[in-house]
Amino acid sequence: MKEGLFSRCMLWLVLLFLLGPFAIVFMAGFSGGETLAFPPPSYSLRWIFEVLAADEFRRAFLTSLQIGLVATAVALLLGTPVAYALSRTRMPAMAAIKQVLTSPLIIPGMIVGLGLMRYVVLQIHAPVFAGLLIGHIALLIPYAVRVVYASLVNLRVDIEDAAVMLGASRLRSFFMVVLPNIRGAVIAAFFLAFVTSFNQVPVSLFLTGPGISTLPIEMLGHMENTFDPSIAALSTLLVLFTMAFVLVTERVLGISKYM
Amino acid sequence: MQKKHVGILLVMPALVFTLACFLLPVLALLLEAFQIDGGAWGLQRFVAFFGDPLNRQVFLRTLRIAVLVTLSAVLLGYPAAQAAAKVAPRYRGLMLGMMILPLMVSPIARTYAWIVLLGRNGAVNSALQALGLSDEPQRLLFSELAVYVGLLQLLLPLMLMSLVGALENLPRDVTHAAATLGANAWQTFCKVTLPLTQEGLIVGGTLVFTGCVTAYVTPALLGGPKVLMLETLLYQKVSVESDFGSANVIAVILVVMTLMVNAGLKRISSSRSKV
Repeated sequence: MKEGLFSRCMLWLVLLFLLGPFAIVFMAGFSGGETLAFPPPSYSLRWIFEVLAADEFRRAFLTSLQIGLVATAVALLLGTPVAYALSRTRMPAMAAIKQVLTSPLIIPGMIVGLGLMRYVVLQIHAPVFAGLLIGHIALLIPYAVRVVYASLVNLRVDIEDAAVMLGASRLRSFFMVVLPNIRGAVIAAFFLAFVTSFNQVPVSLFLTGPGISTLPIEMLGHMENTFDPSIAALSTLLVLFTMAFVLVTERVLGISKYM
Repeated sequence: MQKKHVGILLVMPALVFTLACFLLPVLALLLEAFQIDGGAWGLQRFVAFFGDPLNRQVFLRTLRIAVLVTLSAVLLGYPAAQAAAKVAPRYRGLMLGMMILPLMVSPIARTYAWIVLLGRNGAVNSALQALGLSDEPQRLLFSELAVYVGLLQLLLPLMLMSLVGALENLPRDVTHAAATLGANAWQTFCKVTLPLTQEGLIVGGTLVFTGCVTAYVTPALLGGPKVLMLETLLYQKVSVESDFGSANVIAVILVVMTLMVNAGLKRISSSRSKV
């Protein structure tokens, strides 16, 4: 079984290559030094506290949280009916509709951001925040549709028909019968979409201005000016949160099957 | 009959939103690239863009890095995915979790590790100097190599996920059957395993390639202004030079590249399913 040994070694190498860098970020994040150096001269929680206390990061974090929650909620409200229609009804021009709705996955995000900045913010004078929100909603709709659709396809239509035959309206049967059955997928879609929005850089890049900045954009701006370990500390916090998050969602929802 | 109307009604809000708020601004931006001063239409902007050797260099660099990263992802990812597909069911969740973790982490946190490793006072330089291989810090950051490594780490999980999926769907008996019929391991791989997982390879390759072409954070942080790729060039044109004409041209190039790769993917997968 020589071939099996080779591929197992490759697997370990690949995992080391993918996850090893996070260990480096952790070490740099817990540095006690003044500037970014590796290995750090000493270890402390100094930069972690400094980052948590920094006003600009806290403000950007709150903006990211707001954008992420609102955009995800709207995307699910718009996307769930689409998923239902795609799985339960026959429509004319279905292929074209799908094409339009999945286009945000194909068009590079930076172009979306630039287009929204120039035509929605500068020409119609919409607030920057609205432009940012629109960009994120459009990007998240395909995720919502895909995840909810996948679980609707696996749900038998009979139980809905039974509810209708027993006198429930289609709408009532959706809320009483369908929704409780696809709850897991809706929650998975929510998490997936939120993470996508929270980490988003290209769409947001042109859609931030004075007073409005998302966390990743704020981090990029900070890195241009200073070379201290604060971004390493912030990255450490983000990685730790994401780890806990992935572990929980994979255990509870099996989120990898929706990716 | 009634169902048809209900379907359209359900799709309408999302469709109108995407068309008006997303596709319209993007199309307007793309069309502008074909407009010359005075309102006439033409390709002058493209001629001017590609006339600049610096722009040509960035275009070719983007293609070169994308091809190299895609090939490397296949070569590293295929054997690793083969091992991952054979992992005992009880470790499967952990394995997939480790593979999708990098995809869920902020791209800045992911890229930051390479700055720590490759910087002037970084781990690699410290090691080189400690070993006496170099007297002064080497310039490792802001190079094509740094961008290549960063993108490979960023996008390898996409290749792994689609290959693991394809390999898990591979019926176990077929490789046994090939072996029983006298094929050696290499023949079995070339004639059975590879053709049956072709689709996963193509999907993964498309994701990695378009990921390279449209990545911003990695080339911005690891390439800097010296090693520009199309996305970082686009950002520079807009925010530093206020050169919206060139930005529009780059937007068209990026969209055409991603659409072509996606159309190619669709054609390959549909022609395969017809067979």
